[in-house]
Amino acid sequence: MNFESVLSHHLIDRKLFTFMVGPLDLGLSPLIITMWVAAVIATAVLSFAARSQSAPARLTRGMIEPVALFVRDDILEPIFGHHAHYYLPYFLTLFFFLLTCNLLGLVPYAKGVTANIAVTASMALCTFFLIQFAGIKEQGLGSYLIHIVPGGVPWWLWPLLFVIEFFGMFAKCISLCIRLFANMLAGHIVSLSFLFLIFIFAQMSKVLGFGVSPAAIGLALFIYVMDVLVSFLQAYIFTFLTALFVGGAVHPH
Amino acid sequence: MDKLIVPDTGLMFWTIVTFLCLVAILKKAAWGPLLKAVDDREYRLKSDREAAEKARADAERIQKELEAQLAGVHAKSKELLAAAVKDGEALRARLKAEAESDAQAIKDKTSADLVAEKNRLVGDLRREVASLSVMAAEKLMRQSVDEGVQKRVLDGFFADLDTAKKAGRN
Repeated sequence: MNFESVLSHHLIDRKLFTFMVGPLDLGLSPLIITMWVAAVIATAVLSFAARSQSAPARLTRGMIEPVALFVRDDILEPIFGHHAHYYLPYFLTLFFFLLTCNLLGLVPYAKGVTANIAVTASMALCTFFLIQFAGIKEQGLGSYLIHIVPGGVPWWLWPLLFVIEFFGMFAKCISLCIRLFANMLAGHIVSLSFLFLIFIFAQMSKVLGFGVSPAAIGLALFIYVMDVLVSFLQAYIFTFLTALFVGGAVHPH
Repeated sequence: MDKLIVPDTGLMFWTIVTFLCLVAILKKAAWGPLLKAVDDREYRLKSDREAAEKARADAERIQKELEAQLAGVHAKSKELLAAAVKDGEALRARLKAEAESDAQAIKDKTSADLVAEKNRLVGDLRREVASLSVMAAEKLMRQSVDEGVQKRVLDGFFADLDTAKKAGRN
């Protein structure tokens, strides 16, 4: 048994079929299906919680509402002020979509959706376009382009800073992409590594394999539980940083 | 393992489409009703609190007004009592003064009457004595004294009478 093949089997997405549209391969894969399942779960749970008046719905709403109010009052209000209402649905969806995908990645047989760089890159790309959209919408195109460089800069530094800030905008989004990807991937890899210890030792002797398994399973379980925490944390961080970057474009001062 | 860090464009396309659809769907299906409920509740709480605060302010204002009124009534009653006491004192003083002056007047009048009566009696007595004296003298004169002596004696008598009268008056 080769550890690398195990890892690639678990972590790399493989298309079920190819469906070329231009340069894009729109064929489905287990990961895409998992993502859709996550989207359906999020939609079902959230709309059930928001609309139904039954007792379970009220319970769910009691859990979701504080999170929504936290996103509104503690993340968006300080950054956007009275514009918070306009951007609130995007950020709430972002948070709950990432959270659902992160948590679903911990379910056996489901794929780690956010442990895939294409997914996190897409989310970062959405953030990038949101930054541009919000900046141009709130400031106007000219003002937005001028305010890419912070005010009060000497004129001869301006071109240099413009280039730095321009690439900084991409760097922010790339950092978002890599942070989420690496954090979610790391949990999966570490869990798999601990579990794979059993098989490595079992190849030496069966007794050693059995002996090592409680420790390996315990450690894997510990990492797994920590991954639950990391799922919430990374969803929060991604949402918060997106709000911060968009806020920077909306209010340049 | 290279595939781990090379993004698949087809997957990116599906991710973006899924996410944007989810934003649209959740905005309609979940966030709208949820946020509306939250806003309604916050508005209701805010208006309830404002109403409660207003009611409390009203109650406090009314209490203050009542207290002020009560204090006014107290002050007024005190003032009235003081005025009544003062009036009573004044009335008593006035009545006393009047009584005293009346008594004085009666006393004065009585003594004046007494003096007048005494004077009258003295006058009467004097006239009586004079006429009696004259009668007695006449009788005496007619028998023993000539007219000249008679006249001198009478003159002396009347002069003495006048002096005595003056002395009596004084």
